[in-house]
Amino acid sequence: MTPNAASSGPSRRSFLASTAVATAAVAGGMPLLTACGGSEGGSRDGTTSGKDAQKILPAYVASNVVKPDIPSKNGSALGFTRKLDLAGLKTSVSKKLGKGGKVTVMSPFWGSPPKQNNAYYRAMNDLIGVDVFWQNQDGNTYDQKLGAVLASSDVPDVVVVPGWNMGGKIPSAIISKFADLGPYLSGDKVKEYPNLAAIPTDAWRRSIFGGKLRGLPMPAPSAPSMVPLYRQDIFEKEGYQVPKSCDEFMTLAKEITNARAKRWACLDMKWTAFQAFGVLSGSEKPLGWNLVDGKLVNRIETEEYLEALEWSRKLFAAGVVHPDSMMGKNAPDPGPKFAAGEFLIYPNNISQWWGRTAEQATQNPDFKIWGMDIWGHDGGDPTLWADQPAGIFAFVNKKASESVIRDVLAVANVTAAPYGTKEYMMTNYGVEGTHYTVKDGVPVKTDKGNIEVMNAYVMVASPAATLAHPDFPEVAKGQVEWEQRMGAFAKKSSFWGMQITEPARYTNLSNDAEQLEDDIVRGRKKISDMQQFVSDWKSKGGDKLRDWYQKILDENGSAAN
Amino acid sequence: MTAVIDKRVSKPGRWQAPPRPAWEEEPSRAGLAGKGLALSLACLAILFPLWIVVVTSLSSRKTIDEAGGLVMVPKGITFVAYRELLSGGQVTRATVISLLVTLFGTLFSMTVSVLCAYGLSRTGSLGHRWILMTLLATMFFSAGLIPTYLLVQTLGLTDTYLALILPSAVSVFNILVLRGFFMGISQELVDSARIDGAGDFRILWQIVVPLSRAVIAVITLFYAVGYWSAWFNASLYLNDQDMMPLQNVMIQLVQKQEAPVGLGQAIKTGQLSGLAVQMAVMVMALLPVAVLSPFVQKHFKKGMLTGAVKG
Amino acid sequence: MSHSTVPRSSAEATTKIPRPGHPVVSDGATGSAGKRPTGKLSLRVRFRRDRLLLLMTLPALGLILLFNYIPILGNVIAFQEYDPYISDNGAISMLNSPFVGLENFQRIFEDSAFWNAVENTLVLFILQIVLFFPIPILLALLINSVIRPRVRAVAQAVLYLPHFFSWVLVIAVFQQLFGGAGILSQLLRQNGYDGLDIMTNPGTFPLLITAESIWKDVGWGIIVFLAALASVSPDLYEAAAMDGASRWRRMWHVTLPALRPVIALLLVLRVGDALTVGFEQILLQRDAVGPGAGEVLDTFVWWNGVRNQDFSYAAAAGLIKGVVSLGLVLVANKVAHLMGEQGVYKK
Repeated sequence: MTPNAASSGPSRRSFLASTAVATAAVAGGMPLLTACGGSEGGSRDGTTSGKDAQKILPAYVASNVVKPDIPSKNGSALGFTRKLDLAGLKTSVSKKLGKGGKVTVMSPFWGSPPKQNNAYYRAMNDLIGVDVFWQNQDGNTYDQKLGAVLASSDVPDVVVVPGWNMGGKIPSAIISKFADLGPYLSGDKVKEYPNLAAIPTDAWRRSIFGGKLRGLPMPAPSAPSMVPLYRQDIFEKEGYQVPKSCDEFMTLAKEITNARAKRWACLDMKWTAFQAFGVLSGSEKPLGWNLVDGKLVNRIETEEYLEALEWSRKLFAAGVVHPDSMMGKNAPDPGPKFAAGEFLIYPNNISQWWGRTAEQATQNPDFKIWGMDIWGHDGGDPTLWADQPAGIFAFVNKKASESVIRDVLAVANVTAAPYGTKEYMMTNYGVEGTHYTVKDGVPVKTDKGNIEVMNAYVMVASPAATLAHPDFPEVAKGQVEWEQRMGAFAKKSSFWGMQITEPARYTNLSNDAEQLEDDIVRGRKKISDMQQFVSDWKSKGGDKLRDWYQKILDENGSAAN
Repeated sequence: MTAVIDKRVSKPGRWQAPPRPAWEEEPSRAGLAGKGLALSLACLAILFPLWIVVVTSLSSRKTIDEAGGLVMVPKGITFVAYRELLSGGQVTRATVISLLVTLFGTLFSMTVSVLCAYGLSRTGSLGHRWILMTLLATMFFSAGLIPTYLLVQTLGLTDTYLALILPSAVSVFNILVLRGFFMGISQELVDSARIDGAGDFRILWQIVVPLSRAVIAVITLFYAVGYWSAWFNASLYLNDQDMMPLQNVMIQLVQKQEAPVGLGQAIKTGQLSGLAVQMAVMVMALLPVAVLSPFVQKHFKKGMLTGAVKG
Repeated sequence: MSHSTVPRSSAEATTKIPRPGHPVVSDGATGSAGKRPTGKLSLRVRFRRDRLLLLMTLPALGLILLFNYIPILGNVIAFQEYDPYISDNGAISMLNSPFVGLENFQRIFEDSAFWNAVENTLVLFILQIVLFFPIPILLALLINSVIRPRVRAVAQAVLYLPHFFSWVLVIAVFQQLFGGAGILSQLLRQNGYDGLDIMTNPGTFPLLITAESIWKDVGWGIIVFLAALASVSPDLYEAAAMDGASRWRRMWHVTLPALRPVIALLLVLRVGDALTVGFEQILLQRDAVGPGAGEVLDTFVWWNGVRNQDFSYAAAAGLIKGVVSLGLVLVANKVAHLMGEQGVYKK
């Protein structure tokens, strides 16, 4: 037993007692982020926080243009559940800040990009006073395009980089190719852009790269975002109760499963298991470290981690997991199978709660998806870990002139307008009458809206995390309340909220851990293989990495409670 | 010679066998049955999955959700997925772009490749081994993404259609195939032409190309299919979305259903399922094949290139 | 979806597709007739004689030198710890990145996962040569023996189709039929047996991969053989028949010799490509069986080099693969010579 397992009580850990070498590992990301990799690295590693950061961060001036129906609590998003009142839309940008310049933005795009100079882009550009020219790039190959474009001398004025594309040497590129926005935004300077001033400070802190404020953030709720979603309609019909512990889940799962009738209980529940057992977050490498009794511990060195894997493995072994889950990341889209009732529970990002509801609403009125509260594995309260408060950033080319930077900030000030404003509606829905119509307080996109109003402008900067579904207000309410209930159990790990770049030589160190997790859970490898992996990991550099993180902690202090 | 065969073929109706040459024996009944069975099984193994694809592309979200994915038994037909693909005018524009790129790209590639293959087809000619090795090595050594991108950018080809043609214009594999067939052409024909005073260009144009119609059809098809289905170069070298060829537009239409969460993405409600769109894209990808197939096949008729090759 | 190190170029992407079904010809028998004497002539005379031939190769050669060789020089980063972003331009960064000698190669060779990937790759390659390669030849012969034009046309058109399916779709269809919740499994369960998940069984994974390739690309692979068969003169068959050769003997003595050069060339090139076995297909299914069974060389490089943007590592892996492949093709070519075939080139 290694000392860093000290955090745990021995009683419930008997199955590990004999072998535990202490684990370490690392990890990939949440299911939706894994495909694109996620290791950090770069020549200019480290972080900036604490006092240095205070000097750089923009001042926070809360926006009181529109009051949310459910204010943020425990790191949740703001919730809006009322009907949309077109006439009552507020204005958050009182004067056009754009100076009529031309700005080129490269950004990932999912879907078929609309034509340049379409009605939506024209309306947005009119509103902002800047001619934005979009280079909407295929989101699925964006990492490669990004890598190549940043290596050339010809970088667009603005480049959007999602967190999951910040692998390899990209952090190095961010530091060497993009401008310091501090001179325009730090401290009170941000007040010139009121909607940017209303972006929470936590999100801005994440936008510090290489000691300078370089990013314009898309804020995210720090409350947990991975929800065990289930078919509430079928649960009600069959009289199933939502489980309150891992044992209850197993019992229920066996009751639900009837392979002959093509029904299984769930998909791979690994992500829920991590939450139930209180395993440190794997969504980003720095989040996997936490200070325990004066020593930094990685999530894979913990016994909770092994227990979570073991329990997930048991689900597979018991045959209650839908066989498609054996396919891993490239399994067929689970959507239709969930709708068909082939399985009833699966963990995924909270946004699918609304997505699946909206998909099914017209065709399948009985369908009801809802989020389960996460249970502590033994039936008690769970220990959860906070997510990062921002994950997608827009950067400005270092070679851009001051007038271009000002124009970019003018764009951001409009796209970051809060819900309930004219600017928000224009950014997210387009022009009323052309791109959307309002029926009974619910905005509905027209065909033109569905083609033109896609994920372009929202990528530049966004308001504080917001949940508003005028079409399904009860879902928005359910989501925010879930975030608040779960957020209450969420703790911040030692490096929460920091933008940390690991030294390049450690970046590949732990990449195989996630694969090994899946091998174990699916029964192809044993828990002891992971223990072996962890001890290798330590000697190959894991312990050095621990020292490196310790130094950051000593220099910057922790963001954690 | 070919003309004679063609006439023979067309007379008795296309489903019947043409008259058997006198020297050929009657086929055994078992042989015919075996052949028929093998071909039918092979075709069935392909047509059954194709059926699933087509039916799914024509199914509503409700049907797809009831089936839990791919649909085998149609329940009502809807063209909503195809309508989605063709709305917005992007597909029409992109189709024209793809057709032009394919046409000019294939012409260019064929010209360059046929010339090169012929230039290398005479063993013993000066430097042909060196050139061959130079070409061959590129089949195994590849360049990284960044150097290639920087080169194309330095040449000023980004945001031009040349970037979709030039970097991939030469396929060494295709040159080797052409060269192999060219070398198989009966040397007496070439020699007698030379004695008559024909130069290399004339020999190529008047003897080699006509006698190699089958392989030229095949390689043209290879190049055309290559240009038609390429998408990565476009996503790398083109920034202007209005210039994108069909494959890129199709891929992105499929992705519309799978955008990452939390981006304010419009979720399609109602009838349309992402799976149907994906299948519809697949069906549309098969259309050019169905159109091209007969053109290529007519060059494969038995004995068409009589005398071209020594057996 | 992009390839390990190369951007997938359009023509390359498809011409490489039916790998094991590739056609190519060269006729050892006629080579001698066209051979030009080299020994006695001076370079100048030979140049004057062959200058037109050389001129003809120039456009292709120029394109290859420009678009392949110049960027291939970038592989120098295999010996560096390359960071493309330390200078204004990635090419200048190449001059500024530190040289690390053979460290990247060492990292690859010391990784047991690399050798595991090599082993899996070779197993798949052998399976494909044994199970895949002969099928297009047999199918081409079969189709060639059908004389009803409509039957021929329909069979050919149908057989091509799967080549144009994407791998994502092919795998989805296979999963629908043979997956753990697929038709076959449900049929078994309804009859009281256990379900059978063919798609996620590491033990039979190489067979599954080969079966999928056969389904997808065998039909496409026949077309070059058909082109070769189209060049066989009916006179030869007639002459053979007159000599009393049976149907089978005619196939043996007339048809096969006509195909031999094509088969030899394709086989040589396929051997040179032994380390490439269906990148996209396997990347999509690697998770289904885990890397122990599902990692091949190209996916290994993808996971460890390309995905992490470890450019130097990927370049080193590319160089290793290139050297081995080139060696293999030269050996295979030699073997072809010994068996009386011309192969890719002849001395």
